[in-house]
Amino acid sequence: MDDAKAQHVQELRRGTVVLACLVRLATPDYGYALLETLNARGFAVDAGTLYPLLRRLEKQGLLSSAWNTEEARPRKFYTTSALGHQLAAQLTAEWDAIDRSLRALKEGQ
Amino acid sequence: MSTPSTGTLSERYIWAASRGIPEKQRAELEPEFRELIADSIEAQRANGLSERDAEHAALVELGDPARLAARYTDRPLHLIGPRYYLDWLRLLKLLLAIVVPIAAAAAGVARLLAGGQVGDVVAAVATTAIGVGVHLCFWVTLVFVLIERQGANRSRPLLEWTPDMLPQLPSGNRRSLGELVPTLVFLAVFAAWIVWQHFNSFFTDAAGDPIPLLSPALWSSWLPYFLALIVLEMGFALWLYLRGRWTLTLALVNLLLNLAFTVPALWLLLTGQLINPAFEAAVPVDGSNVAAVSGAVYPIIAIALVGFALWDAVDGFVRAWRARE
Repeated sequence: MDDAKAQHVQELRRGTVVLACLVRLATPDYGYALLETLNARGFAVDAGTLYPLLRRLEKQGLLSSAWNTEEARPRKFYTTSALGHQLAAQLTAEWDAIDRSLRALKEGQ
Repeated sequence: MSTPSTGTLSERYIWAASRGIPEKQRAELEPEFRELIADSIEAQRANGLSERDAEHAALVELGDPARLAARYTDRPLHLIGPRYYLDWLRLLKLLLAIVVPIAAAAAGVARLLAGGQVGDVVAAVATTAIGVGVHLCFWVTLVFVLIERQGANRSRPLLEWTPDMLPQLPSGNRRSLGELVPTLVFLAVFAAWIVWQHFNSFFTDAAGDPIPLLSPALWSSWLPYFLALIVLEMGFALWLYLRGRWTLTLALVNLLLNLAFTVPALWLLLTGQLINPAFEAAVPVDGSNVAAVSGAVYPIIAIALVGFALWDAVDGFVRAWRARE
């Protein structure tokens, strides 16, 4: 039963990883730091999924990136683009709508 | 290019992952892999692992490099995905059910007409059926694998499903034993008669031994074949009973069985190999010669054989159509 519960929770949260990335990357950050922040906040995602996802979001113009070579190792820093902020706002509105709908379902019955 | 923090395992991992990526994107992605691995190792080291163990643990966590590469390039990790799977399955079933029996029957008939013995014919049918089946499976699957990889922007299946494609409800429950039992009894009696006629006859020769109706020479070739075929027919009758209704596959197998029986029987009859010459000679014909009588009787038997097989085969298809899915 706990396995099933964990799976449902993971499934529910999976769709929110994109929104979490767009919101978090309002300030520039690199992949692994983002991964640790997300995991600490309960967004279960692994490196092998997050890195390709960031790249896809960049290709869609939702993120912009720049290599930072000032540190010991070069790292790719991602930042949410204007388009990304727009999408983040839309997704947040969607999230609020889902929240309202759920409340209405609970109270309406 | 290896820095002190990335040992040979990491380099090998990066190389393995880059292999699965188109040349153009490699230069772009390799630094990303490098960063990803170095940061993963660092995180493992922060957990208190030694340099070597940290690298190992990090790569274990990242998993198969080919899988990572596939995620980057959106390459499917399956041969045929859910979009085309049902199209593939339906097409394959349909082609196997139609092409294999026809090809196998054609191969058998060709070998028969070329004067092949029963063993040759059975071998030709079996090898053709297996060969054609394997080829069909391979080529159809290959085409679908290519479609899966080419048509990445197609989101719809090849054949749009409509409610008209729903199967008919099975009419009634299981077939009654009323059809199975008579079929099995008839086949058993037929098989028993083939054996029986060898030892019992209306006519006896000079030594008082019975003269069999069917050529005794056939016992070393075709009669065992026909007996085996009768056993197959029994199996078919049982299969039909268990299936509960006629299907396209059943109808095609029925056609194949009919061909397997009628074609050799007809050929043996018309080439004069089926009926024992001694039996013909023993038939008391008043005045006229034996050849004239057999010349008149054989075509009638032949027409009856063909007519029965044709009716039985067509009946199978008609019933399959009525109960179609």
